[in-house]
Amino acid sequence: MITEPTTPVVQLRDVGKRYVKYEDSPMLVSGALRFRAGHRRTKLWAIRGVNLAVGRGETVGVVGRNGSGKSTLLRMLAGVTAPTEGIVTVRGRVAPLISVGVGFHAELTGRENVYVNGTVLGMSRQQIDDRFDEIVAFSEIADFIDTPVKFYSSGMFVRLGFAVAVAADPEVLLVDEVLAVGDLAFQIKCFNRMQEMQAAGTTIVVVSHNLNAIRNLCPRVLVVHDGEPRFEGPTDDAISVYHELLEQRRSTTAGGEPGGHVPGPVEITGFDLFGADGQPTAHVASGDKVTFRIRARFREAVASPYFSFVLANEAGVPVYVDSTFLLGSRGVGAGEERTCHVQVPLAVTTGSYSARGGVRYGPEQEEQIGSQSVLFYVAGRELVKGIADLGATFEVS
Amino acid sequence: MTRAAAGFELRGETRPLGALIADVWASRQLVAILARKEFFVRYRRASFGLLWAVGLPVIQAGVLAVVFTHVIRIHATTNYATFVFAGILPWTFFSSTISSATTSIVDGQDLATKIYFPRAIFPLVVVGSNLYGFVPSIAVLYLFALGFGSHLGVNVLLIVPAVVVMIALSTSFSLMVAPLHVYFRDVRYVMTAAIMVWFYATPVIYPLARAHGWLHRIVEINPATGMVELFRAASAGADHGWPVALAWTIGWTLAFSVGAALLHRRFDRVFVDLL
Repeated sequence: MITEPTTPVVQLRDVGKRYVKYEDSPMLVSGALRFRAGHRRTKLWAIRGVNLAVGRGETVGVVGRNGSGKSTLLRMLAGVTAPTEGIVTVRGRVAPLISVGVGFHAELTGRENVYVNGTVLGMSRQQIDDRFDEIVAFSEIADFIDTPVKFYSSGMFVRLGFAVAVAADPEVLLVDEVLAVGDLAFQIKCFNRMQEMQAAGTTIVVVSHNLNAIRNLCPRVLVVHDGEPRFEGPTDDAISVYHELLEQRRSTTAGGEPGGHVPGPVEITGFDLFGADGQPTAHVASGDKVTFRIRARFREAVASPYFSFVLANEAGVPVYVDSTFLLGSRGVGAGEERTCHVQVPLAVTTGSYSARGGVRYGPEQEEQIGSQSVLFYVAGRELVKGIADLGATFEVS
Repeated sequence: MTRAAAGFELRGETRPLGALIADVWASRQLVAILARKEFFVRYRRASFGLLWAVGLPVIQAGVLAVVFTHVIRIHATTNYATFVFAGILPWTFFSSTISSATTSIVDGQDLATKIYFPRAIFPLVVVGSNLYGFVPSIAVLYLFALGFGSHLGVNVLLIVPAVVVMIALSTSFSLMVAPLHVYFRDVRYVMTAAIMVWFYATPVIYPLARAHGWLHRIVEINPATGMVELFRAASAGADHGWPVALAWTIGWTLAFSVGAALLHRRFDRVFVDLL
């Protein structure tokens, strides 16, 4: 399906970016005296060894957590910073859709800001004149176009910003977290507009940790982690890889977190997710009946422990909290182990989720110990939004 | 297409100077619109609006004229009010331009970290926006000159090279210090201090001929002196030594330009790393 283009529009060859980090910011006097090498500064590779080719009309996503190097990558694609090694080539005009509305001035009216921002994005005055009506129509703020933007709601601000950016009609569009803003209707409008641009041959690079947006727009995804490219390929595979990487990171850092190795009467020895097919996974479809397995070892005898389970969405909002409390529980002897299988039909919408298992114990159940979180991705039904997929049926008469 | 129509290729951090200059030239429309924005935003909320742009130097010159003719007596060749205004005008432009230009790249980081255009645009925008307020002040200068009875002849034509020299000096110096401030954030304070000293080292409130000996040498090689004297030559009348001072000014402008070119060539694409 993905054809290898002959001349990629965006190309990265062995690209790496190294930052010089000063331990204290350079001062004029001491800086001038600091000719000796390696004095109080460390060199740090933000990202290294990236190869990527994106053809005309292709859309590629880049995922990675904060600090993975994805913002540096984006900056290089925008031409804002140069690579330390390797070659970055962009054939055509780039418009960044990064924090739309950057450069908007609060005192200026919407109309004035359109001209300023349009010019910043590389449009000529003539082009802005020609597309002005289109921009206003798209942003849906015709009544306020001559009002200073400081009186705009954040939604209006974003709409106008997006409208200008897409009107710039770039060959390459860089999208950074933009779809997370605005109301739902406008998000769908933006999404449709980006699909039109894709169809018209615009090359799009989406950098995000909103996997929802990535999944909707990109057939191909590059995963960056700790400054290195880890995977490049079909989106679903990439998202699985991404979640595995997040998992690894958690388990390697587990020791530092409270609850990991604090010696208490109870120790959580495992917390794992198994898909509908019974295999360990980090990527499930909405509605799948998945199983979380909590394993605990009891160092001391505990009278009536119970298992708890918390599922939270990307924003950290608990979606589901439950426990075995009402089931009652028998005492557990010292040295014994228990396993609890939590079977959940994941009727939730698309997005990243985290789950934690735990054990509560003590005379009043006031003591508790939690597991590390398990992160996973749920692929939901297209266009279903909200927290839960309640699976409504619609009857139109 | 205004700029960067063909995209770009980045290998290494240094930019070829030719490409950089071409890019700056291609961005002239951007400079114009940003300068306009800067200027009008500055006075938008003020009731007297743009009058302030002209009013402030007039008030400053008025105060100095009163102080130096009635309190401390300095005898200038022509009317002192015109003499001071002819000096204040380019000096105010120069000093306010270089002090805002110093921090311009750092102040522009919201834009700079998102979108590429040559970073030289930021100081150029400062020069441009200050020009908006400057142009009407020239009319005020000649109203002063006429009102106080200066002899105006063909020397009035010197106002054109005077403005050119002022712009060139301010631009080259601004382009040179703005990159330095990205790396050394104390440059802005160094500039504030320097401007204070620089004002007295420039014959704004006293005639060039009044400085003697080693002080005269310093005032003469001062980059700003030639600029100020050229404005005098175009209005109130300059001192005899003004061509020498002007030669120094032009020399300095070239030196600043070379410094600016080297800095931007090396750091244009990596300023953002330190913002």
